Amino acid sequence: MKLGTTLYALTNEYLSRRYSFEDLLAQTAARGTGPGLEVVGFQSIRGFPVITDEFAARFKELVAKHKLVPTSLAINADQEIRRGRVMSDDEMVAYHEPQIRAAAKLGFPVARYQYGAGPEVIRRLVPLAEKLNVRLGLEIHAPQHANHPDVVKYREMYAKVRSPFLGWIPDFSSTAKTVPPSFLEFFRAQGVPESLICLAMEIWYSEGDAYKRMMQYKEKARASGADEAQLNGLSLIFPMFGKQDPRSWLELLPEVVHIHGKFFGFDAEGNEEAIDYPALLPLFRDGGFTGYMSSEWEGHMYSDADAFQMIESHQAMCRRILATH
Amino acid sequence: MDYIPHMQTSRVISDNGLRATPTGYRIDVRLPWYRSLPVSTVEVGEVSIDGRVIDPSKVTFELEGCTSSLADMADQVDKVWFVLDSAYLIVETEAHGGGEHVVSVTLNLYPPYIRGLKRVSRDRKTLQAR
Repeated sequence: MKLGTTLYALTNEYLSRRYSFEDLLAQTAARGTGPGLEVVGFQSIRGFPVITDEFAARFKELVAKHKLVPTSLAINADQEIRRGRVMSDDEMVAYHEPQIRAAAKLGFPVARYQYGAGPEVIRRLVPLAEKLNVRLGLEIHAPQHANHPDVVKYREMYAKVRSPFLGWIPDFSSTAKTVPPSFLEFFRAQGVPESLICLAMEIWYSEGDAYKRMMQYKEKARASGADEAQLNGLSLIFPMFGKQDPRSWLELLPEVVHIHGKFFGFDAEGNEEAIDYPALLPLFRDGGFTGYMSSEWEGHMYSDADAFQMIESHQAMCRRILATH
Repeated sequence: MDYIPHMQTSRVISDNGLRATPTGYRIDVRLPWYRSLPVSTVEVGEVSIDGRVIDPSKVTFELEGCTSSLADMADQVDKVWFVLDSAYLIVETEAHGGGEHVVSVTLNLYPPYIRGLKRVSRDRKTLQAR
């Protein structure tokens, strides 16, 4: 298993305009948090999915200069760009095609796609993916997971099509042990009462579909008179973190094309505070995964911590676990 | 999500983002999301200055030098607000001028790959009109 960075982890550094796209590439190289490089098309590239020859040439020049390896280009299933009207399959195919071409033009071997595309749309894009030599990886993120009904539909399609250009991108958010304590600390600092946090966590740990648990939590929180903004904020824990067994990834392992090493913070021993990396990393390595994992810090949603430093700590942890487990 | 305040992805009003104009104000706003979005998925909600709510017909949205009424934004499916760019709200109001003002702007986003999500970002800043 090889390591790398997704620039999504550096969202705050980038949006604050302190670091340009080119600066982020240079920093990733200088800090040794490559060589893998994942980019979100609609975040980093002006005019995406149109890729000018000039941009492609400059990108390839920078990647070579910094000795980075393009791993995955994140593309989007924007099915409702016109509010209230969902794109047809034909429109969705047409919306994805230039994004997959963009991946090829920039030298990304994988295009990360989203489940909203739909299995039929992705099936129709396989010939293009084969022609361009770009593998299509479905990101499996909480609240979905390897055996979620939305994912099962793709598994059924994959089993029929049997193309090496169809794969999976596990995101470790699906297989968390708990909700990141740093996230709960953030809510405490905002004045969210302990009783509401306890209620949310009690229901988070219970069994059942994430959305049903979220609705159950909201009902109970409202009945207890909780503040609407606070209870809604805290409800994010249900779609953001799933508590599936890490071994649930095993069945998908042969078709895994990339990994999102999702993380939020670290405990006193330097381990990820909510995700069981000592269980997860050996599972993929011993299962024969030799591709890249992007360090994907998502604490930027609620923390102004230095994302570069977080990524360095994450990769140090991963190297230690891979060396000792 | 105004319940996750102060992060880059929930900031709406830029620092030093207020300019007095002959007919009102020009407010520098950022897209409160991690990636670029079509203008059609962005809705300008309540805009107020010094506690006075501005009538939406007196607010114009400006991006890349082009202006449009707030009502027309929903049709702009091919116009993309690049995530690093500022857009501007041009506010027409009789009560205007330099000095310090409390500016409040709400932007509602409808991320086009997350059906049914309306993400409300409400930002309030005390700014010196330049």
